[in-house]
Amino acid sequence: MQAASGNTIRAREQRTGFYLVLPAVLLLLLVFAYPILRSLWLSLFSQNLATELKPVFTGLSNYTRLLGDGRFWQTFWVTARFTTISVVLELALGMAIALVLNRAFRGRNLLRTIAIIPWALPTSLIALGWTWIFNDQYGIVNDILLRLGLIQTGVNWLGEPFTANVAVIFADIWKTTPFISILLLAGLQSISPDLYEAYSLEGATPWQSFYRITLPLLMPQIIIAALFRFAQAFGIFDLIQVMTGGGPGGATEVVSLYIYASAMRYLDFGYGSALIVVTFLLLVLAIILCVSLLKARSRKLESLES
Amino acid sequence: MVKAFERQNPGIRLQIIEGPNATNLIEDLYTSAFLLGDSPYDIVNMDVIWTPKFAGAGWLMDLTDQVSEQELQAFSRQDVEGGKYQGRLYRLPVRSDAGMLYYRKDLLAEAGLEPPRTFAEMESISQKLQEQGKARWGYLWQGRQYEGAAAMFVEVLQGFGGFWVNPETLEVGLDRPEAVQAIEFLRGTVSKGISPPGVTTYMEEDTRRIFQAGEAVFLRSWPYVWPLANGEKSPVKGKVGIMPLVGTAGHPGGSCLGGWGLGISKSTRHPQEALKAIRFLTSEAAQKEFILEAGYVPSRKSLFTAPEITAKYSHYPQLLEVVNKAVLRPPIAQYAQASDILQRYLSAALTNQQSPQQAMQAAANETRRLLEAGRPAQTAT
Repeated sequence: MQAASGNTIRAREQRTGFYLVLPAVLLLLLVFAYPILRSLWLSLFSQNLATELKPVFTGLSNYTRLLGDGRFWQTFWVTARFTTISVVLELALGMAIALVLNRAFRGRNLLRTIAIIPWALPTSLIALGWTWIFNDQYGIVNDILLRLGLIQTGVNWLGEPFTANVAVIFADIWKTTPFISILLLAGLQSISPDLYEAYSLEGATPWQSFYRITLPLLMPQIIIAALFRFAQAFGIFDLIQVMTGGGPGGATEVVSLYIYASAMRYLDFGYGSALIVVTFLLLVLAIILCVSLLKARSRKLESLES
Repeated sequence: MVKAFERQNPGIRLQIIEGPNATNLIEDLYTSAFLLGDSPYDIVNMDVIWTPKFAGAGWLMDLTDQVSEQELQAFSRQDVEGGKYQGRLYRLPVRSDAGMLYYRKDLLAEAGLEPPRTFAEMESISQKLQEQGKARWGYLWQGRQYEGAAAMFVEVLQGFGGFWVNPETLEVGLDRPEAVQAIEFLRGTVSKGISPPGVTTYMEEDTRRIFQAGEAVFLRSWPYVWPLANGEKSPVKGKVGIMPLVGTAGHPGGSCLGGWGLGISKSTRHPQEALKAIRFLTSEAAQKEFILEAGYVPSRKSLFTAPEITAKYSHYPQLLEVVNKAVLRPPIAQYAQASDILQRYLSAALTNQQSPQQAMQAAANETRRLLEAGRPAQTAT
């Protein structure tokens, strides 16, 4: 009797739970699963100006074309490089800023607010600003470097593949480091000061307490911040569109610029969909790899602790 | 303007939808609207380079039989050509636009020099004035990887007697010696110190700012620069001359044609009313009002020399000369893609990542592959 009523209560709870989750699941299916499946479906068709925009089933031909498409692979590597470098540097810098902002000092609240401003500004406007900053004639970067005597003639920042990549990565780091530092700061504040106190009584150096307390306890926030930024940076569009338009010679062209061009400008929807599908799969693969690596590492840390 | 039209045509209401301020955003807006079927717009205001694509996609009404040859005679020939796709008319030009050469007539006069006729003369004048310390830079052009560079390159190509794509035969001319010469000329302006190294990253506004600050002798740009360069606070006010772009001996330069025109959406439920409206909006009276108010360049030949207009814009008769020399970017449906191919390789060549021969060979091959793949659309009518 007792057991049976317990069962029904649990069953009822489960049912309520199911109904409560249902809207969210439906919404996710609608906004995530549907577009992805539709892209997958469309990628099996040729639908472009040559077919007068009528879909014609062509099987995997979009994919074989993609394998030999140098432009796609170039944009893919540009994006991967951009993402890796900027996310790693943003994490390091963001961590440093978060540690500083976590200290008690006068004007800390004001500084915290100021620190978030770059992240809150619209990217395309920021990008326009950076374009001017990196201009070879009247740009402020060249002006500063010339005054410091570090260079003799102005650097053509956005005109050389290497410096153009440096410039866009720099602008992205400036723009999104605050996001990471705020996330990490929230994590830092949840770590009890007692831990540090106890550890330092045992004679730990600040570096040791950072490595043994802060880093492991902050790991969840670090992973979340890294994943967020990874996905965001991989889809970067506005910053690069405004700063270089993908130039010079395609040296800063990222995947999203190419996909946009294929679908909206070339009206090649089948091929654009194939680009989306392949990018999506490669991205998922990268995230799985990263997460499993991190997990393996934190398991190792845990075993060390015990 | 709308009120005047509605007064003349009772029963038709004209609603103007304001679009975004950037050309590519308007293109996106139309593209999405047409893709969803049943475009909410009856009339489409189009940049010259979209017309073939929109027509090729089957989104526009064929106007060939609606507008007589005689009516078209009044427009600048190039502007009408820009509204055609595979010999059929899809767009009536409402305003023209063309690349041209701005030069500092005060500096040239001071040095006792005539305006140049060829690229070589332009270079030597630049170097002379630069040596005398009259100007920091000689020639400014737009070399960033974007549509403006394709427009700029079409002009230089024309000046060397080359071509990009022949729209009739679909022949590609990018790997001919003329294209390589064109790139070598552009690279030369940077290596000889005539153009700042940054021209390979500049768009129109970057170049205008330097020119308007009085730091350069020549500028290749569009008509919009004129009122700004002659503005109240401009350091070069009254010191600027305009002329068609230069070329080489035997090949007069060409100006790249830009400009806007009106077409009718195929899915419109009001074709007759829409036709009346575009006739009205491209009419002499309407254009005159646009010009006097906003400083647009007309598409009707007579307006370039109309007294009311020359009283306000004394340079319009010269503009007519520029527009008459205008060349079209290839009117093919896959223009956007062809242009991207050119832009990428052009930018790679201009920034010394590839030799001109290598870059143009690759660009020509890719363009040929593109046109080959798109042939069905080219032959379908």
